[in-house]
Amino acid sequence: MENIPSEHIRHIHIVKIKDLTLKFPATDKEPEHIVLDKLTFGIRDGEIIGLIGNSGSGKSMTAYSIAGLLPGNAMITEGTIKYQGKDLLSMNPKDRRSMLGKDIGMIFQEPASALDPLMKVGKSLDEILLSHGIKDKAERYNRISDILKTVGFDQPEKTYERYPHQLSGGQRQRILIAGAVLLSPKLLICDEPTSSLDTVTTVAILDLLRKLCTDMKITILFISHDLSAVKNFCDRVIVMKNGKIVESDTTEDILMNPKNPYTAELLTNARLDPRTLDLTHAEYNPDEDPVLSCKDVSAAYTASLWGRWDENLVLSGVNMSVYPGEIKGLIGSSGCGKTTLVKTILGLMKSGGEISRPEGAIGAVFQDPVSCLNPAHSILWHLKEALRPMRRSMSKEDIMSAIDNAVDTVGLDRSYLSRRPDELSGGQRQRVAIAMCVITQPKLIIADEPFSSLDATSAAEILKLLAKINREKKVAILMITHNIHIVRAVCSTVAVMDAGKIEEDGITEAVLESPKSEAAIRLLDAEKRLHS
Amino acid sequence: MKNPSSKIFFIAGCILLGIVLLIFLISLFWTPYDPSATDPASKLMAPSAAHLFGTDNFGRDTLSRVMDASKYTVFISFAGVAIALALGLVTGIPAGYYGGWTDRGIMLLSNSIMCFPGILLALVAVAVAGPSMYNVVWALGLVFAPTFARVCRIGTMELKQRDYIIHARVMGIRSPRIMALHILPNLTGSLLPATVIGLANMTLFESGMSYLGLGVQPPDASFGKLLADAQSYMTRAPWLVIFPSLMLVIYILGLYFVSEGIRVRSGKGGN
Amino acid sequence: MGRKTGFIISKILELLATLLVVSLLTFVAFSVIPGDTAQVILGPDASQAQLDALRSELGLDKPLIVQYLNWIAGLFTFNLGKSAAFGVPVSDLIAERLPVTIGMSIIALIFVIAVSYPLSVLSARRPGKVLDQVFSVTGHILFAIPPFVLSLISIIAASALFSGFRAGQYFSPDENFPGFIGCLILPSFCIALPKIAMTFKYMRSSIIEQNASEYVKNAKGHGLTDMRILMKHVLPNSNVSAITVISIVLSDILAGSLIVEQVFNLPGMGRLLLSGIARRDFPLLSGMVFYIAFITVLLYFAADVLGSIADPRIRLK
Repeated sequence: MENIPSEHIRHIHIVKIKDLTLKFPATDKEPEHIVLDKLTFGIRDGEIIGLIGNSGSGKSMTAYSIAGLLPGNAMITEGTIKYQGKDLLSMNPKDRRSMLGKDIGMIFQEPASALDPLMKVGKSLDEILLSHGIKDKAERYNRISDILKTVGFDQPEKTYERYPHQLSGGQRQRILIAGAVLLSPKLLICDEPTSSLDTVTTVAILDLLRKLCTDMKITILFISHDLSAVKNFCDRVIVMKNGKIVESDTTEDILMNPKNPYTAELLTNARLDPRTLDLTHAEYNPDEDPVLSCKDVSAAYTASLWGRWDENLVLSGVNMSVYPGEIKGLIGSSGCGKTTLVKTILGLMKSGGEISRPEGAIGAVFQDPVSCLNPAHSILWHLKEALRPMRRSMSKEDIMSAIDNAVDTVGLDRSYLSRRPDELSGGQRQRVAIAMCVITQPKLIIADEPFSSLDATSAAEILKLLAKINREKKVAILMITHNIHIVRAVCSTVAVMDAGKIEEDGITEAVLESPKSEAAIRLLDAEKRLHS
Repeated sequence: MKNPSSKIFFIAGCILLGIVLLIFLISLFWTPYDPSATDPASKLMAPSAAHLFGTDNFGRDTLSRVMDASKYTVFISFAGVAIALALGLVTGIPAGYYGGWTDRGIMLLSNSIMCFPGILLALVAVAVAGPSMYNVVWALGLVFAPTFARVCRIGTMELKQRDYIIHARVMGIRSPRIMALHILPNLTGSLLPATVIGLANMTLFESGMSYLGLGVQPPDASFGKLLADAQSYMTRAPWLVIFPSLMLVIYILGLYFVSEGIRVRSGKGGN
Repeated sequence: MGRKTGFIISKILELLATLLVVSLLTFVAFSVIPGDTAQVILGPDASQAQLDALRSELGLDKPLIVQYLNWIAGLFTFNLGKSAAFGVPVSDLIAERLPVTIGMSIIALIFVIAVSYPLSVLSARRPGKVLDQVFSVTGHILFAIPPFVLSLISIIAASALFSGFRAGQYFSPDENFPGFIGCLILPSFCIALPKIAMTFKYMRSSIIEQNASEYVKNAKGHGLTDMRILMKHVLPNSNVSAITVISIVLSDILAGSLIVEQVFNLPGMGRLLLSGIARRDFPLLSGMVFYIAFITVLLYFAADVLGSIADPRIRLK
């Protein structure tokens, strides 16, 4: 036993954490804060283990404790972390740092900014090998080419010469994964690696990680706030809350049969599932004149002073109609041009082609409830301001009754009128935004992902509210979303966008059940795997 | 970055600024001696109980002179910043809001003005119009306007991307109203520290100009002019240099500290 | 490729437009003001006939647009006519005074870079700790002292400390070069101190910002040492944004030297400018103002170009 070098001993648990307690000491502003409270668990060699919890649950701090990247003021007051039998907490910082990359790899949440913008990605990878003492230039180059191929770049010599800004989000995440597994570590810690990627890319990245797990025998610790996202990926799941483990089981058992109420809450709250809301499709008559019709619409961002119009078309040949009383869904992966189309329809961008808009104002509800209201003014001011363009013909009483009506419609209390936006919750702000639309009695409301930054409960209420307004006031709604279930529940028709074009447009059931275009198939397939 | 020292900066700045403003207020009603009264019997006297800050080569009381000078320094900095701020608002907000050729035109003019070193522009403007306190105010107001225009323009460009401004445009609110009522109130967060820094920089410039004899004209004197007068005697009567310098530095430092305090607090960047 | 040339062309057009506006501003400012170059040259006693004759000789009777074009032509051939007050060509006067101003600016810039860089790296290593606080507060205080006040104080201090020190000593660079450099060091240092504080403050926050960035976190996760991250990732990124600051610092130094020269009694551009103002010497003033602005425009342009070259996001857009 003594003669065997320690790295050759097989351990059932590659990492064993026992009674780990982590605190942030008190500052003038905050009292002492316990982040991890006697945490005990093990990571088995070769498994993919998910660590799930809301923000503040301590899941990221657990990962940083293992990696040795805790912020300067964090203090471990109790417990041990053993990596293949070695006590990590008693090692000196320099040795621990050199374990990173070699024994433990890490990837983080933000692929957009996680690469040095001034350095070619090949050079960035080269830096890793250099700092781990690999001097031979040809060897370094070969290893980088190999790993680039492994993570899915067919032409590694070209990728080597790229700068980060020339790559897409998914490609950057692949580079980061390449960097993390470059020295074949035994453990890979992934800190929400997919939360800023769209569904199609997420599925691809998860496939890659799974492949690395089997091919390179890498154990993966996968951190996420989204329980349903780990469904087809993790072998085992640990659910954390307030620095403690509330539940730990195989993924299947946790998803099918959560024993802890908190886990159940995480499952339902992670994503709005409108199937329980009992909503019906909006009715409309395609023989009526459409409230909105786009014919052959194109748009481009002009970058430079003499930037040519057709240089970077974001939209091209978009044809679409919205009929009175209809709710039309618009889906597509991120960067497909959905937001540009909204801006074009609202007349905020120069565009080619023909757009016929309804008379009067178009209502608009945007994604971000934080920036949808002006922080300098009260809610009452917002509603009055919304009426301003039509206010000439209105008496003071008319204005006040219109405001009262709008507030009642969206279900806000009158006492909110005197408040400022920063005193309201996200859901309440979205209600105010909707009230500002309703008050102008529009024929069309454009809702640009209004649910995506709300929690599931508020999102459900806003969805019900929009459906109610559609039904009662016969307002057509163009709803941009990435949640297929919402489309299925309320939209009568749906359009699929990809790369600036409408790829498919038709009755919701037809499109969702038997998509014809390749873009729609790809999108729906990824959705199904992640969220069905 | 959260910085607990921002509070300390703010308090220290207020104390320093308070000293100068208090002296400024007192000087409006009272000074120990008549600041321009000469006394041949007490030339170049070192600080004493009778003359706390000593006397100059005409026997004038330095404390009274310094108190009187605070009036001009404080007035010029505030008046100049008011002009610069007004000019910056009316050019910077439309430039950021409309973009395109409006923006290019305004920015070309403002960048061109910024290419003249500020002190040079102010010197020449005053030289051309004749040295007087009001010309200094106008010249410095013009020189500093592009700085404020930039702050307004960048702030407006950023706010323009916010949903509430986009929404206001969609609702059909007129542009002047959007700029005045939707954008302007939200610019105060970045304009406030810029204004305080502007006061400090304005004072730096004014003191330099007055030192060169192109600022406040005799018999009036700001801190810079006092220092210019003191230069010939500075090795024999260093108090003539030290006290005005001290007041000048306390004023500028106070302004810097205050701006640092509010800048960190409101979480805004800027220079 | 087309986009790249477009980028370069638009930058150059921007430069030309700025120069055009700068020259127009200068010319118009000196044309609308009361005062007449002929009057300055001939003195108050000159007769109307003498004045008219000199005016037509100087081209002052021509339409403004012609005068402007002549003036522009003069700027680029270094032929700005004679100074009204000194009676010698303006270009000669400027050339004579240039070494002092340029010398001071270079020495001051060396001070700024040599002092602010190491201090900001040191300070940003542990933000909020004692060393950092001391540096930051000192920086603020230095920033608040006008350079000419600093000069006055340093002269008082130097006279008190060194009996051999004499303010206002000057050696011509042709006769005694080491002496020339020697007499510029103290003034340069006085100009540099506030700018050291400014550059320090900027670099410090830039380094702290980079240290908190995602890619530094990522590099740590790959096992790179802190030193390697600093040298290979953090400093190069900070440098890109520091280019603009350095260009502003350099133009401030140039402007600052105009006043500080006066305190140390050095025969540089500042002295020339002041005597020009005192004698209302418009040919001299307009030429000096334009040339100083011209240098600044080129400086900012160079910073812009350097910044675009250093940043692949702009270079390869």
